[in-house]
Amino acid sequence: MILLNGKEVAFVPGQTILELAQAHGIDVPTLCHDERIEPYGACGLCVCEVKMGQASAKLMRACATKIADGMVIETHSERASRSRRFVLDMLLSDHTGDCVAPCSLACPGGTDCQKYAALIARGEYHKAAKTMKDVIPIPASIGRICPHPCEKKCRRALVEEPVSLAALKAFGADMDLQDMPFVPDCAPNTGKRVAVIGGGPGGLTAAYHLRRKGHEVHIYDKMPKLGGMLRYGIPEYRLPKAVLDKEIALIADIGVQMHTNTMLGKDVTLDELRKEYDAVVAATGAWVSSRMRVAGEDLAGVFGGIDFLRETALGDPPAIGKTVAVCGGGNTAMDACRTAVRLGAETVYVIYRRTRDEMPAEQIEIEEAIEEGVQFKFLTNPDEICGDGKVQSIRLQCMELGEPDASGRRKPVPIEGKFETLAVDSVIMAIGQKTDFTGLEALETTGRGTVLADAATFKTNLDGVFAVGDVSNKGADIAIAAVGEARKAADVIDAYLNGIEIAYEKPFVCEKEVTAADLADRAKQGRAVMPVLTPEERRHTFREMALGFDEETARREASRCLECGCLDYAQCRLIRFAREYKADPAPYAGEKNTRKKDDSHAVILRDGNKCILCGLCVRACDQLEKLSAIGLAGRGFTTEVGAAFRVPLGLSNCNGCGKCVDVCPTGALYQKSEGKKNVAVDRG
Amino acid sequence: MFKIMVGQGSCGISAGAGKVYEALQNAIAEKHVDARVSVTGCIGMCFLEPIVDIYEDEKLTRLVCVQPQDAAAIGEFLQTGDERAVARLKIADEDSAFLEKQTRIALRNCGLIDPESLEDAVAHKGYAALREAVTNRTPEQVIEEIKISGLAGRGGAGFPTWFKWNAARQSEGSPKYLICNADEGDPGAFMDRAVIEGDPHALIEGMLIGAYAIGAQEAIVYVRAEYPLAIKRLEKAIADAKAAGYIGAHIFGTDFSCDFRIKAGAGAFVCGEETALIESLEGQRGMPRLKPPFPAQSGYWRKPSNINNVETFANVAWILQNGGAAFAAMGTEDSKGTKVFALTGKIKRGGLVEIPMGKTLRDVVFDVGGGMRGEKNFKGVQLGGPSGGCVPAALIDTVIDYKKLSATGAIMGSGGMVIMDESTCMVQMAKFFLEFTTKESCGKCVACRIGTKRLSEILTRICGGEGREGDIELLEELCARIKENALCGLGQTAPNPVLTTIRYFRDEYEAHIREKRCPAGECAALVKYAIDPDKCRGCSLCSRKCPVGAISGEARMPFVIDDTACIRCGQCAEVCRFGAVQKG
Repeated sequence: MILLNGKEVAFVPGQTILELAQAHGIDVPTLCHDERIEPYGACGLCVCEVKMGQASAKLMRACATKIADGMVIETHSERASRSRRFVLDMLLSDHTGDCVAPCSLACPGGTDCQKYAALIARGEYHKAAKTMKDVIPIPASIGRICPHPCEKKCRRALVEEPVSLAALKAFGADMDLQDMPFVPDCAPNTGKRVAVIGGGPGGLTAAYHLRRKGHEVHIYDKMPKLGGMLRYGIPEYRLPKAVLDKEIALIADIGVQMHTNTMLGKDVTLDELRKEYDAVVAATGAWVSSRMRVAGEDLAGVFGGIDFLRETALGDPPAIGKTVAVCGGGNTAMDACRTAVRLGAETVYVIYRRTRDEMPAEQIEIEEAIEEGVQFKFLTNPDEICGDGKVQSIRLQCMELGEPDASGRRKPVPIEGKFETLAVDSVIMAIGQKTDFTGLEALETTGRGTVLADAATFKTNLDGVFAVGDVSNKGADIAIAAVGEARKAADVIDAYLNGIEIAYEKPFVCEKEVTAADLADRAKQGRAVMPVLTPEERRHTFREMALGFDEETARREASRCLECGCLDYAQCRLIRFAREYKADPAPYAGEKNTRKKDDSHAVILRDGNKCILCGLCVRACDQLEKLSAIGLAGRGFTTEVGAAFRVPLGLSNCNGCGKCVDVCPTGALYQKSEGKKNVAVDRG
Repeated sequence: MFKIMVGQGSCGISAGAGKVYEALQNAIAEKHVDARVSVTGCIGMCFLEPIVDIYEDEKLTRLVCVQPQDAAAIGEFLQTGDERAVARLKIADEDSAFLEKQTRIALRNCGLIDPESLEDAVAHKGYAALREAVTNRTPEQVIEEIKISGLAGRGGAGFPTWFKWNAARQSEGSPKYLICNADEGDPGAFMDRAVIEGDPHALIEGMLIGAYAIGAQEAIVYVRAEYPLAIKRLEKAIADAKAAGYIGAHIFGTDFSCDFRIKAGAGAFVCGEETALIESLEGQRGMPRLKPPFPAQSGYWRKPSNINNVETFANVAWILQNGGAAFAAMGTEDSKGTKVFALTGKIKRGGLVEIPMGKTLRDVVFDVGGGMRGEKNFKGVQLGGPSGGCVPAALIDTVIDYKKLSATGAIMGSGGMVIMDESTCMVQMAKFFLEFTTKESCGKCVACRIGTKRLSEILTRICGGEGREGDIELLEELCARIKENALCGLGQTAPNPVLTTIRYFRDEYEAHIREKRCPAGECAALVKYAIDPDKCRGCSLCSRKCPVGAISGEARMPFVIDDTACIRCGQCAEVCRFGAVQKG
């Protein structure tokens, strides 16, 4: 008999500690062991504390230590865990790679862009849509309107231009919608009920994910249709509402119940919802236009930016006249000025107090607005709106750029005594949005007038009430940010409904630095240009301006992806254990081995930078395949795995059996899909 | 008739003994003197090489630092007997103390016999113990004698030799192998080389006795290829012993048969680890195996194998001839017999030292070694190479004994003894050894492959003036984890130089980190040179010597060093005749 974690257990002679632990359902981590292969002892992760007789306890490798009678074994003692953490710290300190592609890391929703791009490149659109819908329930809509932070981090930009990830998302999702669209499975009903207030991107996402987890979900929305700002803030020419309708219908198809024209605080109260439901998600957005605090703001013909857009979307655009001034430099200002053009305004000004370089709006939006005839009045600031009951003109204070402010942008300062006056029929204030607190009065607020929610649990001050999206914390942001928060919140709420308290924690991932020089060998292949309506056509129609990629263009564009993210991330044991043991290589940061990827073989891709030298591939090749195509070379810190005489794998006697790939615990070895874009393996 | 021995170990040859040997032969031929010049191994006093020992019957005249041009004077001495001719070459009395204070067992014939002559070896009782053992004693009796002697593994670990022999003898399986570990890899260690170069038959005889004791049919010497002279002499010795019937079938007409061969290692330090050595012998990459099973159960080709170090074997014949009790009479309760040390570093008299266990480090460093070179203060001694630790001056009276040395954090080790004086920076010292282990790690286990690399990086930044608060604790944490998690002895002991220097010289680490100061003045990045304007006479010598033109000034006016250009080579301070260049 022996003692295993304090319990007396029997053992079979010859059994190792690892085998015994596994037989008792105890997970002893190892990176270099495989039961088909002789114990080797390289990683040292499986060390357990073993005491024999009077001798003091020692750390022994569980994979190789045969059990002897009288042993006292602790598999998860503090000392063993500390030793394991050390091993993981060391391995990670010499591990060069990107667990996740930079595009995904940049996406507030954590969308797996690399994977959907690969699937689109392969023509597997339903799978691509499934990948998107692991995060975003409305990818066709988001793909059209997202300012795509993903593309800003796309490494293809180091070669020429970023991959057109947002447009590809829209393309893939559209293809999916055409026929037999992807519908996710939902877990069996849990009997728990959740109310979601607000059916915008945040509310829809929270509802979708909570429904998938088996909960009964009801969305309450004050407007006649769901979609929130996507419907009532984004103009038709950017996002046709028919697309949004289709995506919302699919959410209804999985059983999310939708109650429209139901205003919180009027038709239903927070209290009632709290009583009726097990949890409530506040996702009411930011629907109040900020005011400019200038004289004449209350004159007839002065409109809030989002009010103007909403009324236009509802089919009842306000009378703006022939000459319109839009104040502001953000995307709402662009939507407003371009909508004004389409409504027939002959002269549309954009008033912005800094220069084009400082504008928060997307550059493409600015360009397209200019193409459509919008006139930009840079370095001007509204000083007074003049008129007699109704707007007649706007007086602008001329500005110049001074010293950089806290945001790093040069601060605009008024040029004393210099003014300009424009004769206008209407003024649209698109300088920001605020939260409408109606019905939410019981919730604690932040200094900036939003609902205060915990950044990691999304909890408000009321038990069971969570808040996501524009209504909470830092206020109005892009749609994908609300989607991301809602997805994370769904996990927390799901746990809450099961009586468990969890908080979102940003998962540890390895990242690497890449420079243009590293990618110098890539052939240049320009970014696909999205075909659009001509400016002349655009001025007269709300028809979707982007015409979309054809299939060939989309697949070629998707193929431009450099596959930065690890293809084995989902099954990587190194990252799994690193998280389990809370590894942190930062204190030990030092030199890392740099090795070239070996793509010389027809079916096996080797990335030595991710190799942890566990030797499993070498031993599998030797002991299982009896081939010995690869071995260890060099000594010390720079030891590496490779074919004999360090020839590329493709020139070795490797027969491509793939046994090495099967046993590799990390993404150092990957079985290529011949002639096709590689797709990351799924969680095993 | 004179018998002239020219010390031609690797140390002597590198000092020019080969040319001295030739010149002496010519001189003797010219003067028609009745003398025979022959070769011998390392006499032990490497600091005085080339050494020429002239025997006239029993009378020894020892000449040191001999150059080829001295051959004429020596010839004259041989011709006339007038000692005045070679007076200037005679060893000083105080240097003679180096050998007089030693007790030589493993090195008993080194420097006395011609290592390439079997007759010489036999004349010095070579193979007598083997004959006695195989004809008159059972293997068990041999093991018993070794047990009585208390002989322990001289490779460093100090494991009782009889126990290993007995385990291999008792182990099921055939054939069995006896292996000698001559992969001497510690920087600053050359004991094994000296034994093989100076008395290869002592090794062969010891191994044959061991083979007889455990029942092995084959004995293999794993010797590093960087020892070409040792290999050459051992090859000759094996061939001679074979021809004489000491190796091969039916040795001394008995049923005991044993083959003998050499395997040259390719120079990996880790192959000194016994299981890595076995892997290498089998033609595999030299990487340690998991233990258990131990080699005594499953070693070379998974057969029972016994591995001992050169020095261990070199003691065996002596023990059988003189009795285990005579060996055990020397030393302490815990450690018996003698130990050979290779004395190097800042010591006045460096070389091979064999002294009984139980003496103190002071006996070795001061009595035998004569203290520091050039009036500097003794700071500490690194024992056991990269696996060992540093013993500070305060512990100089530590007794040479396995347990007592371990208590200091160092180890007995295989015998490398690197002496440091006040000009040695202890952080640099630790860095040197860690860089060595980082390169020599076999790469198999994570703790050693990456852990030692991170240790050397932290040490490098401390020496480079970029140490951070908390680095000492980080080093300690890394060391503790590496020791616990490393797969083999190399990794488990690699942190020792760091741990012992932190233990005894923590203030020196702190000075580097907090004050960006190297108390020993060895870390170039932390040293600053400046000219004292009161002392400088403006001679411009330093300026002309400076390799980077960092010193400027007008003649007869004080010169100035541009610190941003200075590369800290120290040449200015060396050449200044007025002591004006100050190192701070």
